[in-house]
Amino acid sequence: MHLARYGRILLRFWKNALIREMSFRAHFIVQVGGELLWIAMMLIFIKVIFRNTGNVRGWTEGQYLFLMGTHMIVTGIFETFFFSNCWRVSHLVRTGDLDFVLVRPASAQFLLSFERIDYTSLTKLPVAVALCLYAASSEGRAITLNHVLLFIPLIAAGVIMLYSLLFMFAVTSVWLIRQTSVNHLWFYAVNLARYPAEIYQRFAGGALWFGLVFVVPILLVANLPANVMMRTFEPTMVAYFFGASLVLLVLSTFVLRLALRSYRSASS
Amino acid sequence: MRKYWVVFRVALSERLVYRADFFLSTFLRFIPIVTTILLWRAVFDGAGTDRVGDLEYEQMVGYYLFVMIARTFGSMPQLASGISNDIREGGLRKYLLQPIDYLGYYVALRIAHKFVFFVMAAGPYALVFWVCRDFLPGWPALGTFALTVVTLVFAFLLGFCINAIIGLLGFWFLEVASFMHLFMTVQYFLSGHMFPLSLLPDGIRSIVTLMPFAYETYYPTMILLQRLETAEIVRVLFIQAGWIIALGTIARWMWSRGLRRYAAFGG
Repeated sequence: MHLARYGRILLRFWKNALIREMSFRAHFIVQVGGELLWIAMMLIFIKVIFRNTGNVRGWTEGQYLFLMGTHMIVTGIFETFFFSNCWRVSHLVRTGDLDFVLVRPASAQFLLSFERIDYTSLTKLPVAVALCLYAASSEGRAITLNHVLLFIPLIAAGVIMLYSLLFMFAVTSVWLIRQTSVNHLWFYAVNLARYPAEIYQRFAGGALWFGLVFVVPILLVANLPANVMMRTFEPTMVAYFFGASLVLLVLSTFVLRLALRSYRSASS
Repeated sequence: MRKYWVVFRVALSERLVYRADFFLSTFLRFIPIVTTILLWRAVFDGAGTDRVGDLEYEQMVGYYLFVMIARTFGSMPQLASGISNDIREGGLRKYLLQPIDYLGYYVALRIAHKFVFFVMAAGPYALVFWVCRDFLPGWPALGTFALTVVTLVFAFLLGFCINAIIGLLGFWFLEVASFMHLFMTVQYFLSGHMFPLSLLPDGIRSIVTLMPFAYETYYPTMILLQRLETAEIVRVLFIQAGWIIALGTIARWMWSRGLRRYAAFGG
């Protein structure tokens, strides 16, 4: 009953977003074009790298391509469902419009996390999946049903991790008014997570790598799923990955509750 | 007296908040460079050579650091979207009534922006470059230094012309704002911001280096890196100047043509 109601709200959100998106069709097409162009350029960059070396810290070209595909899937899903919502949270806090969300008879976190959806980013996904399939076949790996059944929860955990981290960051704007916005943080997070995690081990005595894996596990979101699918299955790391995403999700609801307690409307 | 003290303190902390934010964002700017450099370190190690393409590892690090310098001159955030907004929303009227040249006004504005940025960023940049001094070539001879300054000024003007043209397209197309994203992506690659253009396969490279974008970032960066002979530097300067004249003329022409259209339906 409860679930059905939230399902209905969700459908309504997605429909509204679609209507909004379709009223700027030229914009939509140009955005999709931009995404495809970006992917093409990243592929050229990878080609340039592997013209010069056979592996990057043990990742072969096919494995690297798979990592890129995984990264695109995880970030694409996040951007589709959560990015504009996280961005909106800090905006709502600043303008005081958060009130209009809080008075509604539904979970605040639900309303804050799902009202917007960005269909442009969704178009990245088929390309990303195709890239993964190509990369796997170039490595001579057959994709079985078992692989898919493992890959989907791994991707989900990665998205949940990103969502929880960015959502918490957005919520902290209740306490800290700042300019370094969700946009910036997202840009740097995407940038860090794009590469094989091993490249960070040589920097600052591995402190950066440790921090980005065990404190703010942003490095894992694409690396771990890709690693499991194409390279090695490390049970402890996989368990840690799922555990960490769950802990972060719970933490995000906790942080939101804490923040709302000290939220005072900006108006009057 | 006490209330003025409060006002003073609030104003001061306000400035300091923004200052801190500026320093933070200036340092954050270097994060993508760090990741890219770590990636290249892995590539050099994987290849087992001390040279990738025409660059040694130190030069690769230097390349990305100097790209930051070249970009501080050539990048024009919000210029194109500002111009197309003026056109679309009628803000142009304000400038037409004043006895100033619209594009000239924006050049002056941008010089001021750059000046403030240089003053504010000098500290953080100096610190980063000092920390990374082992990766960089020493100070160049005075003559080369002068030519380097010229190429950076040209990079500024070239960046201005390119972005102004994109913005002026707003006279003909309403959707320039969404086109911007696409343009930035292309520019990131074609200007050599993403990686040194010399690493591209010969065929693609010869096409890419024919375009003006390479003269906005790649060549100025190579000059900063002291990878070009004096004769080559002079050649680059001439090509830069040629592009500035050509694109500047196009921008002027678009402006006068566009203004006629603007007047026609702005009525």
